[in-house]
Amino acid sequence: MWHLIIRNTVARRGRLALTLLAVLLGVTFVTGSLVLTDTSQRLLDDQFRTAAAGVDLTVRDAVAFDSAMGVEVERDPLPAEVVDRVRAVPGVAAATPVVRGQGLIGVGGKTIVPAGPSLLLSWEPAPVGPFTLRAGRAPVAEGEVVIDAATARRHRIGLGAEVTVRAERTERLRVVGLAGFGPGEGLPETTVALVTLPAAQRLLALGGNSSEVAVVAADGTDVRRLRSAVSAALGSGYEVSSSRDVAAASAAAAKTQISSLQVMLLALAAAALLVGAFLIANTFSIVVTQRTRELAVLRAAGATGGQVTRSVLGEALLVGLAASAAGTGLGVACAAGLRDLAGVFGMTLPDGGLVVTSRTFVAAFVVGVGVTVLSAFGPARRAAAVAPVEAMRRSSADHLSGRAGWGRTVAGAVLTALGAAGLSIVLAGPGSVVVLGEAAVSTVVGLALLGPAVTPGLVRLLGRPLGVAGVPGRLARESAARSPRRTSATALALAFGLALVSFTTVLGTSIKESTARSYTETITADYVVESARNEMLGGLPVHVYHHVSELPQVAVASRLRYGHWKDGQSVEALTAVDPVTLPRVTSLHMVAGRLDAVAGGGVVLAANVAKERNLKVGDTLAMTFSRTGVQRLPVVGLLRDRDAQALSTGYVISLDTYERNYREDVDASVFVKVAGGVSGADAKKAIERALADAPTAQVRDQAAAVAGRNATIDQVLGLVSVLLMLTVLIALMGITNTLALSIIERTRELGLLRAVGMTGAQMRRMIRGEAALVAALAIVAGVGLGVAFAAGTVTALGRTTETTLTVPVGPLLLVVAVAALAGLLAGLLPARRAARLDVLTAIATS
Amino acid sequence: MTITSVRTDVAALARDVVKIYGRGETAVRALDGATLSIPAGRFTAVMGPSGSGKSTLMHAMAGLDTVDEGQVLIGDTDLGRLSERQRTLLRRDHVGFVFQSFNLVPTLTAAENIVLPLTLAGRRADQAWIDEIVAMLGLGDRLRHRPAEMSGGQQQRVAVARALAARPRIVFADEPTGNLDSRAGEALLGFLRHAAHELGQTIVMVTHDANAAAYADQVAHFADGRVAGVTRNEEK
Ligand SMILES: Nc1ncnc2c1ncn2[C@@H]1O[C@H](COP(=O)(O)OP(=O)(O)OP(=O)(O)O)[C@@H](O)[C@H]1O
Ligand SMILES: [Mg+2]
Repeated sequence: MWHLIIRNTVARRGRLALTLLAVLLGVTFVTGSLVLTDTSQRLLDDQFRTAAAGVDLTVRDAVAFDSAMGVEVERDPLPAEVVDRVRAVPGVAAATPVVRGQGLIGVGGKTIVPAGPSLLLSWEPAPVGPFTLRAGRAPVAEGEVVIDAATARRHRIGLGAEVTVRAERTERLRVVGLAGFGPGEGLPETTVALVTLPAAQRLLALGGNSSEVAVVAADGTDVRRLRSAVSAALGSGYEVSSSRDVAAASAAAAKTQISSLQVMLLALAAAALLVGAFLIANTFSIVVTQRTRELAVLRAAGATGGQVTRSVLGEALLVGLAASAAGTGLGVACAAGLRDLAGVFGMTLPDGGLVVTSRTFVAAFVVGVGVTVLSAFGPARRAAAVAPVEAMRRSSADHLSGRAGWGRTVAGAVLTALGAAGLSIVLAGPGSVVVLGEAAVSTVVGLALLGPAVTPGLVRLLGRPLGVAGVPGRLARESAARSPRRTSATALALAFGLALVSFTTVLGTSIKESTARSYTETITADYVVESARNEMLGGLPVHVYHHVSELPQVAVASRLRYGHWKDGQSVEALTAVDPVTLPRVTSLHMVAGRLDAVAGGGVVLAANVAKERNLKVGDTLAMTFSRTGVQRLPVVGLLRDRDAQALSTGYVISLDTYERNYREDVDASVFVKVAGGVSGADAKKAIERALADAPTAQVRDQAAAVAGRNATIDQVLGLVSVLLMLTVLIALMGITNTLALSIIERTRELGLLRAVGMTGAQMRRMIRGEAALVAALAIVAGVGLGVAFAAGTVTALGRTTETTLTVPVGPLLLVVAVAALAGLLAGLLPARRAARLDVLTAIATS
Repeated sequence: MTITSVRTDVAALARDVVKIYGRGETAVRALDGATLSIPAGRFTAVMGPSGSGKSTLMHAMAGLDTVDEGQVLIGDTDLGRLSERQRTLLRRDHVGFVFQSFNLVPTLTAAENIVLPLTLAGRRADQAWIDEIVAMLGLGDRLRHRPAEMSGGQQQRVAVARALAARPRIVFADEPTGNLDSRAGEALLGFLRHAAHELGQTIVMVTHDANAAAYADQVAHFADGRVAGVTRNEEK
């Protein structure tokens, strides 16, 4: 049996090649995503483990939670006496105060701004410090610094060079050594400056305090018991953790961003595989159709239906295995490319050796083989249904490739109608995103079932213009209409890809446009100063605000800060504002209460947040802050949703309240209103001059500010679009494959056409016309679906945020044009092959 | 492309044609010096044992295939000098062909199939002529049907109508009655003879059936890739 299956598969390798390629691409995608994310996670684990390797316990100020949205919270510094108290605990071999903070390195008048953090640390030799000297010596005196070897190399900083380190204070330091981290020359996308403890304390304005205390246990001491002892000695104001746990927690925080990338990549891989599945099912069903005669002979010779089914599934299994093996290899090879691609779209992932886990292999094979075999299941069952008498029929291809069954059509119509109903409900008002998701699934499944029944009509309608192209055009149309199941499956695969592309395009544009609208309508400031770095909390040093607000060209400067807080398990964000100056740079509309009331320690909520939480002015909201734990804040006002969106969150507190509850001391935005009689350009120049000592700060007008807010969406949109193109590519291979197979099936007919005088050019035009028609069908269905469901999503989102639908005509036309062109391209190869058919051989083929 | 010939008595000519399939040990000389002259306006039958090269010669003369040696002329045109595209255009405009089976494009109706060479050429059909053929073949009520909805005999008649539609210089038919019962076959043969005699259409037909050959004006006998002899049937 297997012998036969293998011979069959090899004999049909040409027909199965594109199927194999489709599975291969899907598996490559899955493998690449898994390898990439595994690698990134392993690298982060290693990084944080290295950082904590020589230390047993870490003492820090106690907080309610470690990190939120991938950002570790800042903690209060530890007074010097804590170190002494720790040292006094029996079993402690060493307790070392460690200072860590942010400090930008500058060289030759230019500040180095890495994509990641700019670390400023107190130097400690191993085992407490994770850095090892690569050249020079450790810093011993005040004016000395050691920097990481990677930064030194990249910016050509040699031993003895002078650099500036800019933290709370700025100092000029001499480079006395270069350090590496673990096996590497430094940390990815990071600059590191290592100075003596007193220098670090002064640069960060910590006085005698430190960030944490690193504890090394004496030989033979049980670390767990020591931890309890230290904890007991210090009391509940301090947190004593095993350093390994600290490393794990830090790594986990850093990994949250990677895991969302992983979810996104795997979702896209799933889309690619789904499209691939359509293609596989189609190929196998065509191959089975073409083999009807052969299968019937087998049946007549005594093969059972089960044996026939198994032989088809066996072929699928072989294809799946081959594709999975190749795809896994290719995926590993592509992982680095995927990392670069993510980097292009602003998602920086750590660089290092690739990690290929056995889970990746298992996932790749399960997915590759599973998708192939499952997709071949329908055709395999149909193969078993071939009756032995079919062997006697002259041509059985026609009726098998055929019409849709009634049951299928009715089920398809019902599901499609349900999907449409779900979408209308959402569009009309009450439905949620969940309803929309169900509607989308129902519609896609419904259309897949309904496809064969409606395709002939649609094809003839859409193919009208082809009639102008004479007989070749008309024949192309008829040929597409003649095998509705095939045409609809091919078109749906492409439609699905195009639907995803247009969905993301419309949704992304709508969100961006809405952000822009709410921002420009709410923020009346002339300029806003923000960090060029895309940091979660903004990352603007405090002195920026002070410098800017003191400028004579500036009438008002008002700043904004962001913070995270917890509500039970869920992490929320809030905005801290200055209630006095904010109204002068914004036009806010209070639905209830007053904004200036936040000065008294209350919170203003966005109207929809209040509704969702069932809160009104006068109620209290319990908020958990990392530094101060649970605080009950009175609700003092409700803000219009659009205005809250312009301020980025649904919770607004005063800067004073923020200062009480947060250790973080960076601004997100400084809004500037230019003084009367000063031109905008002059004011901007003055602000820029004032920002000379804040290299990451940027002065933005409204357009630039909006662009900054939309940068993340642009990045995600860019990456998703590029990756979705892979799905579209697979779908196009489907068109090529289906056409190539149908040419094999129509060899005699094509030969006849050539015999009666169809020229090669006309033949090519005919096949290309068919490809274009399938693409057109897919474009209509795909773009239609994508836009419809994007509209639904925007409507559903619009209930909680200020989002309105924007249909970007230009980009959508581009999608249409690219798809149409690609459809034509997909037809090129089969068209060439058809035109090259030898007339006599074609006619002789039975 | 036009064929610049004055009317001659010979519509097509094959001279010392050699066609070899394969090479080396397995080479087959399908045609081995075949010479055949097709008189214009006549009905010629070609007979001979299976494998003697009848179809091969037919294909060569119709411009469906090239030859290895010798010359094939349609009118004054030497097919050996034509490119593949020129041969296609020649077939379209000047040659009709009826195969044993599978003559029609399944997606087109009978009427569309009949005018297919004309539509491919972008020429307008001579409606009176088409009507005449259709009437003679008794296809009037079948024009809107697709091939799948017609009997084998009807399909062959549609194929004959198509072969005649463009008023070709010559029509080749390779065992056109092979799949038909004797009544349908006789009707078709009767029409072919009628077309030759009344409409002046040059027709060449391959057949295994001596009764069928009897409808022709002359019969060429084929053996081992050569024309062994030609006999003339008396006018009935
Ligand atoms: N494409 C081909 N490749 C190899 N040999 C071929 C090919 N076509 C025909 N032949 C050989 O050429 C010879 C002549 O074939 P042809 O089809 O012309 O015979 P025929 O007289 O038409 O026979 P029949 O009456 O059975 O139709 C045969 O021996 C055949 O095997
Ligand atoms: Mg023959």
